Amino acid sequence: MVIRLARILYRKKIFIFKILDLNSLTNGEFNLSNESFKEDFSLLTQALDAAITGIILTDNNLPDNPIIYCNKAFELMCGYSRAEIIGHNCRFLQKEDRGQPQRQMLREAIQNGKDCIVNVRNYKKDGTLFYNELYMSPVKGENGKVNYFIGVQNDVTKRKNAELELLHQRDIMEQRISERTTSLKESEDYLSSIVQTVRESLIVLDPGFKVLSVNDHFLKTFKVTKVDTEGKLLYDLGNGQWDIPALRELLENILPSNNPVEEFEVEHDFPYIGKKLMLLNAHRVELEGQYKDRILIAIEDITERREIENRKDDFLSIASHELKTPLTTIKGLVQVMQRMVPPEVSEKFKTILDKTGVYIDRLNNLIAELLDVSRIQTGNIELHKETFNFDRTVQDTVDGIQSATQSHNILIKGNTGEEVIADESHIIQVINNLLSNAIKYSPDHKSVIVYLSRVSNFLKFSVKDEGMGIKMEDQKKIFDRFYRVGDVQQRFPGMGIGLYICEQIIKNHGGTLWVESEHGQGSTFSFTLPLSKAI
Amino acid sequence: MTDNRTILICDDDEGIIDMLEIVLEGNGYHAISVKNSLEIFETIKRVNPGLLLLDLWMPVLSGDQILKTLRDNPQTNALPVIVISASRDGQQIAVNAGADDFMAKPFDMENLLLKIQQHLN
Repeated sequence: MVIRLARILYRKKIFIFKILDLNSLTNGEFNLSNESFKEDFSLLTQALDAAITGIILTDNNLPDNPIIYCNKAFELMCGYSRAEIIGHNCRFLQKEDRGQPQRQMLREAIQNGKDCIVNVRNYKKDGTLFYNELYMSPVKGENGKVNYFIGVQNDVTKRKNAELELLHQRDIMEQRISERTTSLKESEDYLSSIVQTVRESLIVLDPGFKVLSVNDHFLKTFKVTKVDTEGKLLYDLGNGQWDIPALRELLENILPSNNPVEEFEVEHDFPYIGKKLMLLNAHRVELEGQYKDRILIAIEDITERREIENRKDDFLSIASHELKTPLTTIKGLVQVMQRMVPPEVSEKFKTILDKTGVYIDRLNNLIAELLDVSRIQTGNIELHKETFNFDRTVQDTVDGIQSATQSHNILIKGNTGEEVIADESHIIQVINNLLSNAIKYSPDHKSVIVYLSRVSNFLKFSVKDEGMGIKMEDQKKIFDRFYRVGDVQQRFPGMGIGLYICEQIIKNHGGTLWVESEHGQGSTFSFTLPLSKAI
Repeated sequence: MTDNRTILICDDDEGIIDMLEIVLEGNGYHAISVKNSLEIFETIKRVNPGLLLLDLWMPVLSGDQILKTLRDNPQTNALPVIVISASRDGQQIAVNAGADDFMAKPFDMENLLLKIQQHLN
């Protein structure tokens, strides 16, 4: 038996022990002579036991091919002791898990006396599953008959588990990809349904201005079909009706350097649908990848809106004219009354008459302001430019206010010494407004100072009061339409449009209007007007 | 011969006419009013006023149309005309049409009387 094992191992050239430095080796091999046999054999067994690979031998000549040898590694691998292994057929390691297709391969190999490598599920003594990579090789006698089988076994559970884990991960990944694809598709559909629903026309262009897609609103507004639009060059659409100089300017000159462009106004007379006033937002996609350099254009058709705005302006113009007419009569009659007051009338009566006059003026201002706001909003504020002497205009305006004000003394310091080209009535309106505010909001003080100066190519007007001042958080907002500082509203009612109008007027002249103030320390409102060029 | 005490008022609004008549009569002027703008030329011929107070927005003939006609006629082109209007663009229109002066409605009575006096002299 011992000799047989040694021979088998020798013939199968399992020279695991070659690595061992052994005295009994001759030329690196065992001679297995009678003298050294015992020592050689002991070495061989030690070597087999030192191997980390499970090795068994089965005897094919005995019934049911039982295991006749196993090394230590095999015992460790399966958890059974040698005594529990010897005499069993290998299949005992499969326990109840007998349906594995690998067994058929083994059976065939055994029948045909061939080598084979299979991966089988085996179970340790404690029932733990392990994957056994089994290399089985027959040992044939002189007559070619298979006498033994050698089984070299490796526990590849870790590898197998890693493989299984990998497969599992791949499945998860595939599932995720499929989920992502579905969700991408869904969000694409979702986005496109949004795009189709918006009440604004949208066009997507490629970098060469070819139309990639348009939404339904575009098709409806411009009365075209998808087929006639998508895939065509923008400028070629509808016999060149989109070849609009302003649009070319936007796409070819403005957009490449100013991305994105917002609220770009284009007016165009389209054949069939008529004159359209459009507000364009254009955005060139700068993302890397397939969408790079695509151009998105959102078109808002403001034709009707502008028409309504103009009609509103007209309406307010007429309304204010109609309101002012009877107001003129009332004002005139009150002034006549003031002059006709008999000397014996009480002071109270005179005060009442005076107050009536003040409120008539206030009503007149409100009417004028309403009209101004409407015009400013629609950009319809017209400037009637003329050359006038700025210092003299300021002096006249100050005189006018001073004559109606007993409470405050208005002092002018400095001068600009300049003629200015501007809309004098508008500038007077601004000066009036700023001066009235200065007086109105400093009721407990006596003076208001106007500073005039020339700064570079601008002239500068400032009016300084010593009044209540404006809190930091309110300073920006006071130029907003209809904004009223909370606690001020209680004491000084108003519509909150005066400063808004002033700022718009100064802006339209190319200047700026601003305030410097500290709460409780008074305010200084200043504006500049450019000198050098016609406005 | 022009009558320097006679002021002609041309306005389609009765309130304005009423008020101006009171003011002018109260200041020693003789006020004559025309509500229908079509009657203006005939009235001027008839009363030969020293000055015309003219509204802009009136039905049929607008103030600037009247003004242009007056300026084109050698017999009326020297008639002092003060345009009185509640229209925002009134001043520009008045100046372009050849008005001697302009007063925005609502105006200050003292200023109006001052201007009337200036143009009559």
